[in-house]
Amino acid sequence: MTTLNPAERPPLTPTERGALTHPDVERLSDVNRDVLAILGRPGKGWWLLFALAVAGVGVFFGAWFWQIYRGIGVSGLNGPVGWGVYITTFVFWVGIAHSGTLISAILFLFRAPWRQAVYRLAEAMTVFAVMTAGIFPLIHVGRVWHAYWLVPYPNSRFLWPNFKSPLVWDVFAVTTYFTVSAVFFYLGTVPDIAAARDQAKGLRKKLYNVISLGWRGTDAQWHHFGKAYIFLAALATPLVLSVHSVVSWDFAMSIVPGWHATIFAPYFVAGAIFSGVGMVITLAVPMRKAFGLEAYFTTKHFDALAKLCLLTSLIVLYAYLSEFFMAWYSGEEIERTAFWNRLFGDYWWATWTMLTCNGLVPIMLWFKRVRHSIPALFVISIFINIGMWFERYVIVVTSLHHEYEPWAWGIYRPSITEMSIMVGSFAWFSFWFLLFTRLLPPVAIAELKEVLPPPMRKSATHQEAH
Amino acid sequence: MTDGIKRRDFLKVLGVTGAGAGLSGCSTEGAERLLPYVVPPEDITPGVATWYTTVCKGCSAGCGMWVRTREGRAVKIEGNPNHPVSQGGLCSRGHATLQHLYNPDRYTGPMVREGGNLRAVTWEDAETLLATRIQAAGGRVHLIHGQMGPALTSLVDEVMAAVGGSRTEYEALSDAPLREAARIAFGTDALPRYDIESARMLVSFGNDFLETGVNPVGYARAFARMSGSDDHGDKGRFVYAGPRLSLTGLNADEWLPIRPGSEAALALGMASALGGDAGPYGSVLSAFDVRSAAQATGISEDAIQELAERFADGPSLAMGPGVGAHHRNATAANVAVMILNSVAGNVGTTVTMGAGPSSSTRPYADMESAIGAMASGQVGVVMVRGTNPAYSLPSSPSGSGFQDALASVDFKVSFASAPDETSALADLILPDRHFLEAWGDSAPMPGVRTIQQPVMQPVPHFDSKEMGDVLLSLATRMGATMEAATFRDYVRTEYNGVLGNEEAWRTALKTGVVDVPASIPGTGALQSPDSALSFDAPVMDGGDDLTLVVHPSPRFGAGEFANSPWMLELPDPVAKIMWHSWLEMNPVTAEARGIREGDFVEVTSPHGSLEVPVWLYPGIREDTVALAMGNGHTDFGRWASDNGVNAMALLPAVAEQPSGSFVTVATTVSVTPTGDRRRLATNEGSSDQHDRPIAPAIALADLGHAEEEADDGHGALMELQGVGGFVPVDAHDGAATAFPLEGAQHGNYTNAHEGPRWGMAIDLDKCTGCSACITACQAENNIPWVGEDQVQMGRDLHWIRLERYYEHIDATQASHVDVRFLPMMCQHCGNAPCEPVCPVFATYHTPEGVNAQIYNRCVGTRYCANNCPYKVRVYNWYRYTDENVPEPMTWQWNPDVTVRTNGIMEKCSLCMQRIRDAENRAAVEGRQDRVPRDGEIVTACQQSCPAEAIVFGDLRNPETRVAQMVESERTYRVLDELINTQPGVHYLKKVTFHEVSGGAH
Repeated sequence: MTTLNPAERPPLTPTERGALTHPDVERLSDVNRDVLAILGRPGKGWWLLFALAVAGVGVFFGAWFWQIYRGIGVSGLNGPVGWGVYITTFVFWVGIAHSGTLISAILFLFRAPWRQAVYRLAEAMTVFAVMTAGIFPLIHVGRVWHAYWLVPYPNSRFLWPNFKSPLVWDVFAVTTYFTVSAVFFYLGTVPDIAAARDQAKGLRKKLYNVISLGWRGTDAQWHHFGKAYIFLAALATPLVLSVHSVVSWDFAMSIVPGWHATIFAPYFVAGAIFSGVGMVITLAVPMRKAFGLEAYFTTKHFDALAKLCLLTSLIVLYAYLSEFFMAWYSGEEIERTAFWNRLFGDYWWATWTMLTCNGLVPIMLWFKRVRHSIPALFVISIFINIGMWFERYVIVVTSLHHEYEPWAWGIYRPSITEMSIMVGSFAWFSFWFLLFTRLLPPVAIAELKEVLPPPMRKSATHQEAH
Repeated sequence: MTDGIKRRDFLKVLGVTGAGAGLSGCSTEGAERLLPYVVPPEDITPGVATWYTTVCKGCSAGCGMWVRTREGRAVKIEGNPNHPVSQGGLCSRGHATLQHLYNPDRYTGPMVREGGNLRAVTWEDAETLLATRIQAAGGRVHLIHGQMGPALTSLVDEVMAAVGGSRTEYEALSDAPLREAARIAFGTDALPRYDIESARMLVSFGNDFLETGVNPVGYARAFARMSGSDDHGDKGRFVYAGPRLSLTGLNADEWLPIRPGSEAALALGMASALGGDAGPYGSVLSAFDVRSAAQATGISEDAIQELAERFADGPSLAMGPGVGAHHRNATAANVAVMILNSVAGNVGTTVTMGAGPSSSTRPYADMESAIGAMASGQVGVVMVRGTNPAYSLPSSPSGSGFQDALASVDFKVSFASAPDETSALADLILPDRHFLEAWGDSAPMPGVRTIQQPVMQPVPHFDSKEMGDVLLSLATRMGATMEAATFRDYVRTEYNGVLGNEEAWRTALKTGVVDVPASIPGTGALQSPDSALSFDAPVMDGGDDLTLVVHPSPRFGAGEFANSPWMLELPDPVAKIMWHSWLEMNPVTAEARGIREGDFVEVTSPHGSLEVPVWLYPGIREDTVALAMGNGHTDFGRWASDNGVNAMALLPAVAEQPSGSFVTVATTVSVTPTGDRRRLATNEGSSDQHDRPIAPAIALADLGHAEEEADDGHGALMELQGVGGFVPVDAHDGAATAFPLEGAQHGNYTNAHEGPRWGMAIDLDKCTGCSACITACQAENNIPWVGEDQVQMGRDLHWIRLERYYEHIDATQASHVDVRFLPMMCQHCGNAPCEPVCPVFATYHTPEGVNAQIYNRCVGTRYCANNCPYKVRVYNWYRYTDENVPEPMTWQWNPDVTVRTNGIMEKCSLCMQRIRDAENRAAVEGRQDRVPRDGEIVTACQQSCPAEAIVFGDLRNPETRVAQMVESERTYRVLDELINTQPGVHYLKKVTFHEVSGGAH
């Protein structure tokens, strides 16, 4: 594997755009070389991680099949708490899925050039996160073999789903989001696959041949590509807002104290971006290290991501505080009790974990030194991941366990099966992500080149592949 | 197609795989053969229920039953409204007798014990063996039996006379002290009857008449009529005096937390305050006054004085200590209460001497002499029937010695139909039939008889035989001539006198009641006592500072029902704990000892010790702890064995003097934590309403001033409406008009229907919290039990939840009691939060206003349950039906109701099957619009409710009972004013004598 040691390379004269990128990436061909090198023979570390992921996937499906075989009673769910870790993890992954589209589509439309280095990784994360999230409603229903009844399809019984139910909206929101982000992801990858194809041999070559759709980098192709890309970006942008709004309505449309709040849609969207960006950092830091991408993922990028985290963290914190305020201000005893219970009830530890991870820890991002310290960012991003998982846990569980009817109050304790499935979902996600890093160029080659200084005449002897 | 698959080959493959798929698709594995009746029985129409009357033998009360059978199987029991004892209600245990019928642990046939193991034999061999052994014993045969009907008793006497044997009646729960007190005080050797309904002031001295007394169902009905408010400010007052609030106590308006055993002092103190003529007891009375009563009971003089004055004021009634308060001076305490009644002039009015239930009242002393006879070798063959002394008598060193005495008898015979601790010691087992399979009769009160007729063929899994038939056969084998060939004939012959012709007999079977002549003394004058009575505090064993009260369980009785999963999983009406045992302890006592709820403690008396988790209860005195009977079986079937503890381990076997009754409040105990802890299997989330309008109450004085009350209560809400906030639909006239909702012409609520709007009204002033509705619902709607581990996780499947909220309980002084019971089931909201959130329309609104659940359509997202503010939706987390319900308990399934599989939601359907049944009948009778008449549809809970608290009907028709109840100013709908759910289930507020404070009114 090539390592890019800045010390071995002559410094590059800063250009207008060069400040954003990588002083040690000199030529367009360097990008090809460095990125496509990742697709080479994986090392032991990758294999180890992959083996772990495969084992985790085994646990994931094993636990799920056990649950199908035995009944959903193997979870810890009960009378008052009908939703627990499964829905928590579902919302968590849907949230993770957000930043991908945000970074690739919205920032594309806003012409934020720093997105170029990380957007491929973020998009892949989005697709895999939706793939993970999409399984959870299936895991969670009691009769998964009838789950297709949520889909409107013509049938002899003339039965149609209930379009009043937010769960049906969910089906549409999540499948739409998955479709669009998968297409968007694939479309953006095509030129890079072609680049990989040109270097690949054997089976890989055949595979890339097929999936690069005959990309040759002609003007006409670039022209169409550009059109399609911006069109899809425009299509994906509202979805960023809609999906998580719809997911939030799963809660907000109910009458459960703690769920029934108009703030939920923006609150959830902000939270989703917060968690998604956090996850991008969590993924980018080890990738940068493992694949020697220090020259491409610079502190500039991390700084931008950290600022996004800080912004969304403030929004989320504001939402928390306004929820507590509104509970008090409403004067409604049941609402007040629900939020008091959140802070000081049986699940106080979850709430305080959430507040600490999502409200307190990101305050450090105000400091430039923290934003420019990659280890610090990595640690903070882990806090964000944990905090955002707990946020959903707090919303789902603490609201349900103390509802209107005091006699029916109860306690929910997640079971081993539930926790296995939750942990297994990370393996399932990692499984795909690890494959992605070895099969598709994990950094957008073509777009990176756009931010490099154009090749000078003197170096024209070097022909760019594409 | 030349070198690929040939067309013919393809067709072959297609044919083979197709046939394979067809075969596997139409697999016969698991299919059951359906055989139509070759010769259809006359009285069975498939799909139509046949009803039989009989009498309940679950306890000694003798309630009349209607048993619903479908295709020859008993599926549901209801109270017989014609019956003078129960008047149509039925308690939980009555329902659970069905589970004894189908108990999978029943003996499969007669068995002989050989070398410790049971070997199946034929009835012929078994009876021959019995006859031989009795002959060998030379007539030294003794029968120990529980309650028996008059016919069986007379047969037993006849046979015993023929073979030269004798018999002893033994019931774990006996009212001997009351009967003895009646004999001593009035010379009437029978239980008195209490006319609770006519009383306006009722005082119970530790008599738990609502749960385990002589006639729980009948007394509950009378109590509800007495205590239930009639909206005109007329409401009887009920005061409970005792160390612990039982279920009966929780229904009291006032509680005098007297020291254990001080009932006599209180009664005599009140009587002396009344100052009436106590006849020969005048000297006794002069020794007691209010001050001495105050000293003995620990209650203030003022409170006793006030109580006495109120008692003198109106039609009053005092009830003496029952089984839960049988201490060493229990007879004297009952005499004291009779003196009080006599002084207050209640004898002959609210107390009718000699007219009481003729339930089993033989004291433990009889059993003591039987044990003595067995131990001294006077008995060669002992037979046990319908009682389980090896469990219900203490076996400690200071215990009864029953087991040892039994072991010394050569040949032990048990007629138990299912294994119990006593039959485990028997040499020969002759499984008796369950009472629903057998003939017999019952004499529940003077002048009333009920024929016990079999309602179905004996359950074929068990080769059982009625004891009556065994005895007849035995007598014949031993050379006696018996007139009757079968016990059925014997019973018939017994009634030749009163039911001379066949028609009268048939009518008696149909109505379930036979009137027989009876002479009732009715009233009487106090007589001098013929035996020594001590009205002082009874002696307690041991010197510890906690007195142990052992009381019968409302669910298990003395333990007979401990193998019924319905009873095990029924939340105890007081503690709300399921399955396991617990020790009741006052929170103050617990705190002083560093005990938390759920901590295991070692309870030690001078007679033994046991380990049990603690449940904290504000309704028990700080110097008292209580343990229910019934659990802790060692050999009683799969569910009962090794579940909980047997309280008898702590008790000595003492016969109270002079009645000879078994003493249940006999000892003090020490309590030390063991360090272990458990999560109690309870459905209680919080017993505090948190000021929410769940179970509000209204003070009696406020009745009739509803307008002001509403303004006062909901000022904030009114303000909100004033500024344009939501306007809740008024519950009063709302019932009729609120459905369909305004704007309801869309979506789920499309409804141009002008038919009925089914709804319910529940009078919380009548509800006693007895929980009979829960078991009735469970039996009717095929609700399986889920097991202790599931209950502990909060997954109980009951469709009705009986919530019990404490508002005020004070265990330190005489004070008012305010405990609100609320049967909570699906509220059938007109604006149901569960309906819009279901993605697949598995729950929806019927045109008749019922919130319906379509089990087949449910995919199990559980969103409906989350969104249900009442939390009445229950979920099948596992295949409870398949996994928990063994054959032949499956025979009890109601064929009109689907059994549910795992992964689906269920809830109260307002007994939809009964609504449809009534509609179908209305249609068959050709009535216009097919609408059943009011009262034709009776839901399962309503039918069983001993308190008549539940009324079902059409809310839209102003003529119906339910619509009229809904008009009451006490009517409210739970949480409706907050979240506008517009339920179809209406509640009528509890009425209290004290001012109701807080927001909950």
